[in-house]
Parts: sequence; C-alpha cells; structure tokens
Amino acid sequence: MAEKRKYKKRYCKYCEAKVDFMDYKDAGALRFSLSERYKIMPRRLTGNCKRHQDMISIVIKRARAAALVPYTVTRKQVVVAPFENLK
Amino acid sequence: MRNYENLVIVKPTLTAEEIQASVKAIEEVITSNGGEIAATSPMGMRKLAYPIEKNERGYYHVIYSSIAPSAITEIERRFRINEDLLRFVTIKYDTNREIAAFNGMVAKAKKAAEAPAKVETPAVEAEAPVATEAAAPAAE
Repeated sequence: MAEKRKYKKRYCKYCEAKVDFMDYKDAGALRFSLSERYKIMPRRLTGNCKRHQDMISIVIKRARAAALVPYTVTRKQVVVAPFENLK
Repeated sequence: MRNYENLVIVKPTLTAEEIQASVKAIEEVITSNGGEIAATSPMGMRKLAYPIEKNERGYYHVIYSSIAPSAITEIERRFRINEDLLRFVTIKYDTNREIAAFNGMVAKAKKAAEAPAKVETPAVEAEAPVATEAAAPAAE
C-alpha cells in the first residue's frame, strides 16, 4: 500500500452538524475556528470545507466589527484574559 | 422591503434610563424612515473585546426589522451622528436561507421578550453541543 497517513483524516465539523447559517452574535460557537490569538484558523488545520470556511470567515469578521471578538491580542492581553469573553 | 438586523452598542457611561431613552431614539430613527421593527433583543451590558473610545464595556442592543434598502444610508447617517453610540453593525438578510434564519432569530427574540428568565436556559443548551464538539478536535 501507499505511505501511511501521518495525520487523522480531517472532516468538516460544520457539514457533520449540517450548519446552514451561523450567527455572529454567538461568539462562543466561533471559537473552534479561532486560534488562541484570535486569528482565523486555516482550513488545513480545522478541516473545514470551503463553503463553511467562507461562512465562518465572514461571520468572524462581523463579530470583530461588533467588538464581540478581538482583532488582535497583544502579549499583555494574552496573559490576562484568554477566552474570557467567549464562554 | 428587506430584512435587516441592526446591532448597536450604546455608551456605558450613561445611566440606565438614559440608555433606554437612547435605545428608544434609535428605534424611532428606524420607524421614522419607513422601517418595521419585527423584534428587539437587548443583549445587555457586556465587556467589549477591545476598547472603543476608551470604553471597556458597552450596552448591546439588537433590532430586527424590515426596511426599504434605500433608507439604510439615511439610518446609518443618523447613527453616525448619534454620540451615544459606540458602534453599529447592519446586516442584510437576503437569500432564502438567511431569511429563514432571520425569522428564527425574530421568533427567538420575541419569545425572550415574553419570558426573559425562561428562554435564557434553552438558548444556552442549544449552543452547548456545538461548543463541546468544537472543543474536542482541538484537544486531539
């Protein structure tokens, strides 16, 4: 057989849950696709499909504009409050 | 007429009555421009993810309404002038899927308005499975 797969096969969590619409006000649900510095996680790491990645990136950007999710986190803030706002 | 959602963040330095008054004024802006408010949901005082105009907290209020697309520019202009607002976000719900979600949120907001204490818990429960699913792969 071919080489062994190094990583577990990725699949889209949102497809599995059949998510049709994401609400930007629900900041806790966006956490899966955010890094600990609140960057949008790339598809190659989360395994999201293209459709849902497009949806989540729009929703995260809306949540950032509404001050529900930070744009950036500085070193000081990382120590003080990691994911304090998103439960 | 098209469905829109307006999220406004009111300054936390105002008193509770002043906040209610400015929320009323905001809704008045929408109705006076030919909008019909379907539902409102106060999210209450929250900590902002980042300081806006040196404020750490803000009063969130969401208004679901159907407004003529041409009136949006005028409404946003009025919001920009309003000094009580820290931030506003206007979202359009246009496609069939979005409209279905919009109607769902309106129904939820109306329910919450009727029985505020009761609806809080199911809303949290509905979000919980998503959160746990999300947490699991990160741990792997």
